[in-house]
Amino acid sequence: MTRGLKRSQVGMSEEMIQTYGDTIFDLSHNLQIRRGDPVRELDWEEIEKQKENAGISDIEIARKLGLTHDQTTYIRTIMERRRFNRHNYHRLYDLGGGKRFRTDRFVPHPERFTFRPEAIALRKALDFDPRTASKYLKLGHWNGDTVTGWLDKWAKETPDAVAVRGPGGDITYAEQHERARRLANSLLDLGIQKGDVVAIQLPNLSEFTTVYFGVLMMGGVLSTMHMPYRAGEMKPLLEHANARAVVCAGAAENYDAPATMLGLRDEVATLEHVIVATGDAPGGALSLKTLIDDSRTTEIDNPPVASDPAILCFTSGTSAAPKAVVHSYQTMLANNRIAAPIYGMTQDDVVLGGPPFTHAFGLCVLNFTLMAGATSLLMPAFTPPALIDLIETGKPTVAFVAPAHVAACLKSGLLEDSDLSSIRIATISGSACPPDIAYALENAMPNGSVGQMWGMTECFMGLHTPFDGPADIRCETLGQTTPTFEARMVLENGDIAADGEEGELEIRGCSVIAGYFNNADANRTAFSGDGWFKTGDLACRDANGNVQITGRAKDLINRGGIKINPVDIEAVIDRHPAVLMSAIAPVPDDVLGERACAYIELQPDSNVTLEEICAWLDDNDVAKMKWPEKLEIVARMPLTPTRKIIKGALKPA
Amino acid sequence: MAVKTDIDPAVAKQTILDYCLKKGALVAGVADIKAIERIAPEGHRPSDMWPRAKSVISLGVGGQTQGAWHIPAKALGYFGSTEVRAYTIAYGAAFLIENKFGKRAIYCPPDMDTEAGPRVPFQSLKLHAELAGIGARSLAGDILLHPEFGYMYFASIFTELELEPDPPMQDNPCPTTSCVDLFRKTGQTPCMKFCPVQCLSGDIDADGNQAEMRYDMAACAEMTQQFESVPGVLADAIRAKDEEEREDLLFDAENKILWYKLSVGSGGLLGQCFECMRVCPIANQSPQADPIRRYEHRLQAAAGDDS
Repeated sequence: MTRGLKRSQVGMSEEMIQTYGDTIFDLSHNLQIRRGDPVRELDWEEIEKQKENAGISDIEIARKLGLTHDQTTYIRTIMERRRFNRHNYHRLYDLGGGKRFRTDRFVPHPERFTFRPEAIALRKALDFDPRTASKYLKLGHWNGDTVTGWLDKWAKETPDAVAVRGPGGDITYAEQHERARRLANSLLDLGIQKGDVVAIQLPNLSEFTTVYFGVLMMGGVLSTMHMPYRAGEMKPLLEHANARAVVCAGAAENYDAPATMLGLRDEVATLEHVIVATGDAPGGALSLKTLIDDSRTTEIDNPPVASDPAILCFTSGTSAAPKAVVHSYQTMLANNRIAAPIYGMTQDDVVLGGPPFTHAFGLCVLNFTLMAGATSLLMPAFTPPALIDLIETGKPTVAFVAPAHVAACLKSGLLEDSDLSSIRIATISGSACPPDIAYALENAMPNGSVGQMWGMTECFMGLHTPFDGPADIRCETLGQTTPTFEARMVLENGDIAADGEEGELEIRGCSVIAGYFNNADANRTAFSGDGWFKTGDLACRDANGNVQITGRAKDLINRGGIKINPVDIEAVIDRHPAVLMSAIAPVPDDVLGERACAYIELQPDSNVTLEEICAWLDDNDVAKMKWPEKLEIVARMPLTPTRKIIKGALKPA
Repeated sequence: MAVKTDIDPAVAKQTILDYCLKKGALVAGVADIKAIERIAPEGHRPSDMWPRAKSVISLGVGGQTQGAWHIPAKALGYFGSTEVRAYTIAYGAAFLIENKFGKRAIYCPPDMDTEAGPRVPFQSLKLHAELAGIGARSLAGDILLHPEFGYMYFASIFTELELEPDPPMQDNPCPTTSCVDLFRKTGQTPCMKFCPVQCLSGDIDADGNQAEMRYDMAACAEMTQQFESVPGVLADAIRAKDEEEREDLLFDAENKILWYKLSVGSGGLLGQCFECMRVCPIANQSPQADPIRRYEHRLQAAAGDDS
């Protein structure tokens, strides 16, 4: 439109714009050329000659091209609009104050970093109720801390302090930082972007910590795969996570991880890179060592911030609907920061992490150690002698272990004669701990106190006992909630349980996730909508506020309407001399609905019958209605990485 | 209006120019209106606006303060408008002519021709100033520079009063020796090199004079003329695939500034780019290019008078 006239009034068509547009644009003021300085010199011949170069008016163009004045103005203004690059002025934002424009440094907006759709989708798992988020932010529970920020701090302040002590030797904070920076740059060079998921299946080796810090440094999200998993278990998880790369160990006698991962790369649409962390990388895979050695220490341009997703861990769930837990730096690190006073860790501590880093508990310990600027003492694989030897030689001051670690050392007879004098605090966590196990560890540490901690991937640490509290609190309960957290026990009818009454434990706090990633069904079941997470654990709280876990809601056996909690019965059976470990799970029954079946892994060269087990329970005053009615001897009990029995994997023969 | 017939053109000219300088203009002169008529494009000649105009007076005021060149471009844009000062002087001069000499005068509107759109001014104030001898064309997109005052903003007055025109400047300060040196080494003068959209190019002859100046005005306009963005944002918003995208387009911080500018009418989003002038030795280092240099110049002049 020009002078208020429409195209039809001006006698215009789109074809005319196309035909004359470029010529009019160039003849007008849009491109100006002057040769010499003719006006100042009043060189009339040159002035006349150069008039068109200087840009002529619409009237003059119209006359030259045989158009009307209106048509010319119409076409010129339309062409100016169509050619206008609206966002060019963004170049100015980085200029001035001594900064000069450099074409080679400027990246036009369309070419700038863009999150992949998968990365944006992953962020939906961090969709908190705004009221909840506001509360945590206002109270300072969520702040700007990131893992990279913590690593930067120690690399600057105590560069020579040992960050990691493992089979490969010591790695200082400066070295750890440099390796992570090099890896981060290599990953970016590979095309892995901020927000992308990198999966990892590695034992507790220094290579794991380097990958953890490196991936997080470039803004990636680390997704952990438990060591026992094979292709069948990993494929749905890698697909659910939309993983871009996977890091694994070199080929071993019983498991060729690189070959497995390369096979998965062909099956998982997003998976592009297989990185081998130890040993040789086969054709088609990349070597972690090469990625680090051949890289550079350039600062990362677009590092993560605290609200970004940091880790993606899988808890359980069917292969079709995995329960994927995404933690931001805010939810993940708030937990360590808030619980820190309970543990009182300092730069002088050497921290033994029993749980694998592929588990949230392991990562929690790793973050705890980093926060304090302490040393991580690595245990790549657990056996009772390996653990005891590591403690005696590595002299940890702080230990995090699972009940099964202690139980195995106790049963093997190694605990009594070991030198655990370096330990000042030992935290037992990962599964329900029978009191005798906790007392045994307490007694084996001449200078240390045992404490218990309860946590879940969905919330990290939720309950703790104080290390300076009475032994019965520390060995027989899980203590109280993490500061600022809340816990409640809920009865089947929805009422809140009274003190001493058993109910399902629900927990609320600044480390509880907003929901599982891409699993609406699980979210409906597990989250109340107002911040409470239904843990599935049965618990009761005494009058002093100390909590005891009494079982798993889904493990209850419904025998003709009578609910049997197997935890106490298992504890008694575990004490039988012929039993290494036991689990009681339901088997279907046409009459009663369910009956209890005891699954037992025997001590070497031992045997036991159902009758003998029942007699043992009778001798220990366990009511007959709770006795198992079937016995299955298993060669090897299926265990989670934190050495919790996987009851779902137990089936009668 | 009482028409005076006993006006001495020389006295009148001196009176008007003195008025301009007294009111804050750094330079002032009279352009040859016949030359403007021959050079200006049709539709933009003085006669196209006011056929009775006999003279064109041009004046220039100082550009940036020295401090201005040291702040970020986005902030510099906000006080690039010293031309308002020039307009005020021109407005006063038009009144002076009518009051004192009884001849019609107008302050030449510096705005854009509404029939031609926002890139086409009614009149070329630069052409007036060039012909009045108060500035010479540079390699930086035809911007006028002055060897003493550097980079200025200009305003014009048309009047029926006949005044003796001044000649254009005898010499052109652009390019400077240092600019020629850089051009010989790199093929670019500082203004060409640091233009964020590379809208400037050209050539310098063997004698160190301007041989060719090429100015991609459209590219330059993209840096500063966000009025094109307003309909663009609206068109994008109409085409947005969903509410989220529409919200982003309309309420993005930068676009909200556009609405802000529209509603309060306070200047451009980023004003002008200024990068070519920020690096121009004439704009920055001429003896009286900025208030600090002018102050130093006055001190030196005063010291000279004392001695």
